[in-house]
Amino acid sequence: MSKPPNDNVTTYKLVVVGDGGVGKSALTIQFFQKMFVQDYDPTIEDSYIQHTEIDGRWCILDVLDTAGQEEFSAMREQYMRKGDGFLLVYSVTDYLSYENIRNFYTLILRVKDRDNYPMILVANKVDLVHQRKVTEEQGKELASQLRIPYIETSAKDPPLNVDLAFHEVVRVIREQPVDLKNTRRRRRGKRRRCSIL
Amino acid sequence: MAGMGDVRVEESLHVKIAEAKNLVTPSVGNGGRNTFCTVKLDGEQIYQTSIAEKSLNPFYGEEFRGEIPRKFRHLSFYVYEHGTKNNKVIGKVSLRKQELYKYHGKDHWFPLIPVDSDTEVQGKVHLEIRFGEFLSTEPESLTSYRMIVKVVESSDLTVTNGACNPYAVVTLSYGKSRHKHEVKRTTVKKKTICPQFDETFWFSLENRAHQHDRNNYYIEDMFDAELSVSLWHDDTRVSREVLGGMFPGVFLGEMKISLTDLTSDGVHNAWYFLRARDNWKNQKQELGSIRLRISYTSDYVFPSEYYDHLRNVLLASSDTEPITSSAAYIFGDIVNNKQDAAQPLVRLFLHQGRLVPLISALARLEISKTVDPNTIFRGNTLVTKLIDELMKLVGLPYLKDTLKPAIDEICTTHVSCEIDVSRLKEGENLEDNMNQLKHYISLIFEAITCSGLVCPTPMCEVFHTLKQVAQQFFPGNNEVRYQVVSGFIFLRFFAAAILGPKLFDLRSDTQDEASHRTLTLVSKAIQGLGNLVSTKSSSLGLKEDYMVPVFVYMSDASHVDAVRMFLDIISSSARTNSIGGEIEAPIILKEGMMRKRAQGRKKFGVKNFKYRHFRLTNQSLSYSKTPDEDNLCVIPIEDILAVERLQEESFKMKYMFQVVQPLRVLYVQADNCVDEKQWLDILNKVCNTNRGRLKTYHPAAYMNGHWLCCKSMESGASGCIPVTGGLPITDIQVSIDIERELEKIHSLLLNNIEKLEQMQDACATQEVYAGEESLDYPKIEDTKTCFETLSKILRCVISLEQEHMQYRKLVQRETVLGSIDTPIGDDSLVFPSDTKL
Repeated sequence: MSKPPNDNVTTYKLVVVGDGGVGKSALTIQFFQKMFVQDYDPTIEDSYIQHTEIDGRWCILDVLDTAGQEEFSAMREQYMRKGDGFLLVYSVTDYLSYENIRNFYTLILRVKDRDNYPMILVANKVDLVHQRKVTEEQGKELASQLRIPYIETSAKDPPLNVDLAFHEVVRVIREQPVDLKNTRRRRRGKRRRCSIL
Repeated sequence: MAGMGDVRVEESLHVKIAEAKNLVTPSVGNGGRNTFCTVKLDGEQIYQTSIAEKSLNPFYGEEFRGEIPRKFRHLSFYVYEHGTKNNKVIGKVSLRKQELYKYHGKDHWFPLIPVDSDTEVQGKVHLEIRFGEFLSTEPESLTSYRMIVKVVESSDLTVTNGACNPYAVVTLSYGKSRHKHEVKRTTVKKKTICPQFDETFWFSLENRAHQHDRNNYYIEDMFDAELSVSLWHDDTRVSREVLGGMFPGVFLGEMKISLTDLTSDGVHNAWYFLRARDNWKNQKQELGSIRLRISYTSDYVFPSEYYDHLRNVLLASSDTEPITSSAAYIFGDIVNNKQDAAQPLVRLFLHQGRLVPLISALARLEISKTVDPNTIFRGNTLVTKLIDELMKLVGLPYLKDTLKPAIDEICTTHVSCEIDVSRLKEGENLEDNMNQLKHYISLIFEAITCSGLVCPTPMCEVFHTLKQVAQQFFPGNNEVRYQVVSGFIFLRFFAAAILGPKLFDLRSDTQDEASHRTLTLVSKAIQGLGNLVSTKSSSLGLKEDYMVPVFVYMSDASHVDAVRMFLDIISSSARTNSIGGEIEAPIILKEGMMRKRAQGRKKFGVKNFKYRHFRLTNQSLSYSKTPDEDNLCVIPIEDILAVERLQEESFKMKYMFQVVQPLRVLYVQADNCVDEKQWLDILNKVCNTNRGRLKTYHPAAYMNGHWLCCKSMESGASGCIPVTGGLPITDIQVSIDIERELEKIHSLLLNNIEKLEQMQDACATQEVYAGEESLDYPKIEDTKTCFETLSKILRCVISLEQEHMQYRKLVQRETVLGSIDTPIGDDSLVFPSDTKL
């Protein structure tokens, strides 16, 4: 396995959003710690950083795990501005969390002022087969309407598609047309450029 | 039918000013500038954001909420560059009132337009226009046609550079492309925004027509002209000195009207709105854009009796079986944004004293669907939104009282508390930061855990219900009773408020990044406190590494016990007067030996003083001979109507205080002044939220047939001086405009009327194809009752809307276009004629 190089590594800021109790933290912790937490407490805002290799290219994943409760919606804008890619998570056992995905999706696009942005739809808790309320068809239907990839996950051991979900967002970010990335970076650019010559 | 005076219009505005981007600042250079944004109703500024530092893509993230007490035409947002000497305007967004609905409740990016005198227009002008035939002095034609324009007055003009010296210019444009003008002007009025001109101008119409072609169609021809009246500010100094007198002054607005729109007979006496000059639209200047979310609502509120049916249908909700067939549940189900539904519902049910049963029924439903107690009440459902709204409605003074001192300290001291090594700045010491963070945490921990007794009663009542419901569903789980309460009070109230103090009215300013980071850390820690009661230590090591020492620090028994005690107090039944509820273990708040006077059960004989062991719990005050013996007397908390000091003269004894009950008074003597103060304080806290709490009391005892203080002979006479402290600031009664809330519910129902009908169809379909779930619609629990409720709701909504339509017609009939209140030239003030039914 190749060593993570120190410089020239792109940092991807990923943000995990979705309603309360859908398992955002469980997914994030499964991805970073390779453990499943059964009783996880509500999150305010946790961030995790990891060097990782995706499709043979090293990168830094800076993942922000967020609060699902709407009381924190004012803080949402802050991280939505900063995020490079988003995991829109709902629980297949909670129909309301599925319906709420659209709100997250539109808010992200509004904040970014774009027609599309790197996001994936994550249907979590698929291990709970008997309590499932949202079918795979419904999930795929929503994903195709939003024109984003759809992934079914389970954070419970053995985990299903957890790494794949995070890696998929990075792929979507990487696949973005180059000009879009550049314009965004220039807009954001804090580095001073020589403007006279 | 409602008459004109019966209906009131309530308008409210909720604006989020999110961010701006690609700003082009007036100052040279590409560097970021300090900017801020203001909100204006017509010309009047109603809100200003904090200054966003050094960015051409600034983030404001501020919200403004308010009632609009007057009519307005435009809602505008101005972005300014903040300067040390003065602020320079960058651009604005100006929206007409009638287009606000297009953007309702959604984020939008708006391009900024330039701010100059052409677009900064307000005010109106009063004109009298007449047409007349008169005998011409010219011999060739016998009669001549002319137009007489009287500029009567103008009002609400824009003030330019602190002055307004207005004059009016009357222009008649005619010819093929109206390129020919006949211009007349009034005198200049000094220093007024409401000039009275009373000047009349004659325009001869016929001659012009004759010049072209003397045919029979001259009347049509002569009306092919446009009259415009524009108002100007006479800026004499600028005009004369700078521009050599060529400059006409500052444009204040204009009205234009085609003569074909005026009938030739009679007098046109009307007010006209001044409008912006058309030519600004041609300027293609990129100034940047701003993201806003605007919610403007205007409710036509009818007298109470119009809402009787709707109110009854809704209030029956808590008694409806199953709850999914209740009006409140259906209402919450069809409204997309649960918060919109929860806001009026919580007010209605709180006002009618029916909130607890409703929340209890909805909570039962939600818990019955929850498989894992760990995710209980985590989502954004109707019941969680109802409780959120309740906490915001009645809990803000309590929140302020509890958290403000600590939050103020955090926001003003600017000491770093960063404990994430990767984010440490140079020269910062991890240990110092950790100590600082612990200091803040303990400040807030103390404040919260000592606040249990002043938590507003409606919140306590709801928490009590939640706890009971949770215990019923998860009888074996001891943690869940704490978890359900902490999930609201910590997660959705304290932690959320610490993270966004501005949104909860704790701070008026926005926090800089450093303070925000501190608040985030503190908020996470406080949520950690809330989690303490249920956390299994297993998950501790999996959280962010740097937070682990904080959580470990807080996990000791003293913290856990304090949090549990706090949660017990705010969810105890003592204040709820619940009938039939099981008796909970009381929480001891204070105990100790004191002397008490016999309470006068015997009419005669000497009233003696005896030492007794007193014990105050969150349910009662009691005393016994010794701590281990049975109670001799128990006074329930709700029977304590006042606790006050007693004048020494009454019994010639020091440190006496009285516990006033409905039928008698208990006189107690504490050991010393400190002890007395402690008892008084805690007793006052406990009884502060009692419904029967007295407003006045007697500072002395009733002896020998009269009150020693006021000499009143009547033993039941109400007190002669006000109680100390009064009601706690944390339990202020909220005033609720119930008709307005019902009107809001009505209009939400009306907007979703198709969904109600769909749901009715679904009931019918499900009934026919018994048992089979339709794919389009989630299964309805009880089709029969649900269908009944839906029919009731629909009947209410339709009949109320008919009242609305009739009222709209009435107003339209009564509105005189062109009057001073309804000038011509803007449709915003005319009643909307849209029919939703």
